[in-house]
Amino acid sequence: MTKNPYITMKNMKKSFNGVPVLKNVTLQIEKGEIHALLGENGAGKSTLMNILGGVHQPDNGSIYINDKEVKMSNPRISQEQGISFIHQELNMVTDLKVYENMFLGSELRNKMGFLKVEEMCQQTHDILAKLGVDIDPKEYVRNLATSYKQLIEISKALLHKSTIIIMDEPTTSLAEHEVNRLFELMKNLKKSGISIIYISHKLKEIKAVCDRYTVLRDGEMIKSGDVEQEDLDTITKLMVGKSISQNRFVHEHTFGPVLLEVNNLTSFGLFKNIHFQVKKGEIVGFTGLAGDGRTELFESLFGYRKKYTGEIKINNQLIKIDHPRKAVEAGIGLVPKDRKENAIIKDLSVIHNMSLSSIGNFEKSGFILDNAERDKFQYYKELLNIKVHNPRITIDKLSGGNQQKVIIAKWLEVGADILIFDNPTQGIDVGAKQEIYQQIVALAEQGKSVIILSSEAPEVMRICHTINVMYQGEITARFNGEEATEEEIMHYATGSKREAAKIG
Amino acid sequence: MANTNVKEYSPQVSSAKSRLTWLWSEYSVIIAFIIIFIASTIMNPRFLDINNQLNILMQVSIIGIVALGMTVVMLSGGIDLSVGSVLALVGVITVLALNASGSILVGIFTALVVGSFAGFLNGLMVAKGRIASFIATLGMMAAARSIALYIAEGGSVSGEVKGFTAIANNDLWIFDYPVLIFFAMTALVYILMHKTRFGRYVYALGSNEKAAMLSAIRVDRIKIAVYSLAGLLVSVAAIIETSRLNSISSSSSGVQYELDAIAAVIIGGTRMTGGRGKIIGTLFGVLILGILNNMMNLMNVSPYLQGFVKGLIIIIAVVFQKRE
Ligand SMILES: Nc1ncnc2c1ncn2[C@@H]1O[C@H](COP(=O)(O)OP(=O)(O)OP(=O)(O)O)[C@@H](O)[C@H]1O
Ligand SMILES: [Mg+2]
Repeated sequence: MTKNPYITMKNMKKSFNGVPVLKNVTLQIEKGEIHALLGENGAGKSTLMNILGGVHQPDNGSIYINDKEVKMSNPRISQEQGISFIHQELNMVTDLKVYENMFLGSELRNKMGFLKVEEMCQQTHDILAKLGVDIDPKEYVRNLATSYKQLIEISKALLHKSTIIIMDEPTTSLAEHEVNRLFELMKNLKKSGISIIYISHKLKEIKAVCDRYTVLRDGEMIKSGDVEQEDLDTITKLMVGKSISQNRFVHEHTFGPVLLEVNNLTSFGLFKNIHFQVKKGEIVGFTGLAGDGRTELFESLFGYRKKYTGEIKINNQLIKIDHPRKAVEAGIGLVPKDRKENAIIKDLSVIHNMSLSSIGNFEKSGFILDNAERDKFQYYKELLNIKVHNPRITIDKLSGGNQQKVIIAKWLEVGADILIFDNPTQGIDVGAKQEIYQQIVALAEQGKSVIILSSEAPEVMRICHTINVMYQGEITARFNGEEATEEEIMHYATGSKREAAKIG
Repeated sequence: MANTNVKEYSPQVSSAKSRLTWLWSEYSVIIAFIIIFIASTIMNPRFLDINNQLNILMQVSIIGIVALGMTVVMLSGGIDLSVGSVLALVGVITVLALNASGSILVGIFTALVVGSFAGFLNGLMVAKGRIASFIATLGMMAAARSIALYIAEGGSVSGEVKGFTAIANNDLWIFDYPVLIFFAMTALVYILMHKTRFGRYVYALGSNEKAAMLSAIRVDRIKIAVYSLAGLLVSVAAIIETSRLNSISSSSSGVQYELDAIAAVIIGGTRMTGGRGKIIGTLFGVLILGILNNMMNLMNVSPYLQGFVKGLIIIIAVVFQKRE
């Protein structure tokens, strides 16, 4: 903070409907640094960045770039000032091709006004290559996996010759090797004098790439400093006000009988020969790299995908599930990943999102009881610490992490006997993560079967009794949760080792 | 934790502006209605006459009932172009059933069955056949009109049962039956959409179909129900239309009703892509259209120009929608 910073956001204030979200925040970014913006869910990080990106207007405060005051009246102006913004939620037009998305709104044209398709494809290809992504620029975005969508979103920001790049949780859907490539790229950008504002709840990432940090809490600037000089625990404390143990949850368990049994499940091109069992009270994890087929496997189990062979038994009874409704009737719930696409109904209120899959719990003679819904939401709001002032507003007004908590509440309310969580802590802060793990453990202690899908090995290692590792649609290893090491898991996840015998 | 005890801030003076924008965004159609109403009162003294007012209500009731169903379809993310033709078909078959049986009850029952069956077929095509609703109902539009023309040999059919005309031509106190039926239907559809799970599911499906499905909603069945409901409401409208003159024309009845209904829904603030909108909005959308028609008649605007004015209003409504 000694020399003049490149960007200063000074005394930022912002309220939504009379609720203050930013209370006098000052943020300073130097040229050529990677600056971590940290804070709990709902602390105001995205809001602050939306102001810098011209999406929202501040109630008070000013922005200086190179000591010159600038007004970001709309996103276009912000872009002209050299700011690129990778938003927290993906904003792709899925019915367009990759290159069309990349150049949306800034298409290249020749003198006659025709689009220079080949050149756009070439540039798209080059930028994606820098991130190590090899996809056809003419592929439709809807056919791509989420991690690619996220990478395209990142590439799009690189396309404009910007001097400041805002990355709001860019790695929530990325696999580790993709994250590492992104970090390489970020370091290169930094060397060429570009400043990056980096928001993430993964503290390991902060340590890995960021130079300085600023912590927000409840809309106030708490502290800013050098990342090197702080350890993770201190930063955590600054963010959530207490330290969080990263240790494995030790839980006493007495498993009941086998509740779910899957035999020989196969779906062409997605997964094959899947066998596993889940007992009552057991937490089973599935991990692997992107494209290992775990999401598709459980979407099939949940009845969302129908083209598969093999048998599924619940309580030793063979069942056929061809629609999510049937899965729920059979006692299976699924918290999907990628909430914006798969879980959020953005036009419904927070409360109505919570009750959507269990409206029966709130009905009396065919009519929905508003009060019952509201009271139940109040319960989850306290249980999961959901930060929302007025739960009647539409859910898209909540911060990313808080949206995720509502989705978890929605499935807790269904009360399924077998609950599948796909990437459940996407966008959730370290403190809240702990609370969600506690809820999951509590479910198991109540005798429910829980399945956790995650690309982060440490996550499954923290709470699962049994860990399955998948590689290219097959289960390649099965560990006891206490014995697994991250290294072992990686071996099987990358296919360099197989343990077919143990799995049978 | 730090954030459980965030104080509840009540809206303050500083938010007066934001409250105004909220008011506008939630109730713009009602505000527009009030403005148009006042402007009409000033422009023509005959407008406020009670008989004229009741006349407007009477004139909008048929389109109003059709527009209610259209709202539900559009909230689900679809559109129903077949309403006008289905109305004619239902009318023709109803008159035949009425004349054959001599019973008003049989006539009404036939109407309801034919209308909801046509809607059911629309729903089936959209939900199970995965045909875009625009195409599916365009097909139904052509097919239903053609069958109506065939049955009636291109002409009109008239009722021969005494008492059938009472449905549209009697009144209770100052209100004609069709107006009362329209209000009753509005209330019913309102309750259905805002107080029952069906309504909740329709909004969810119109907003994010994949997420609705993953929320364990039977998306296909809801879609079929939505189109069937629209068909059922069309048959209610068809009964009134037929009863009014005790006859129905296979060639001209119901022509362009889909346009008026869609216009009312859009003016009422329902989003074209679904998931967002209100039944009350449609009610006021219908009333605004009614007042405009009425004013153009009172002010002797050429009937040929009335479509132009209506078109203009729809486009303005959509522009306003886009802005948010
Ligand atoms: N458009 C809006 N209308 C009303 N409230 C809003 C709006 N946008 C954000 N908020 C509120 O502002 C607060 C801060 O949200 P913000 O998205 O900035 O949090 P965040 O720090 O990015 O959290 P997360 O880590 O969960 O993404 C939240 O309580 C949120 O509900
Ligand atoms: Mg955020």
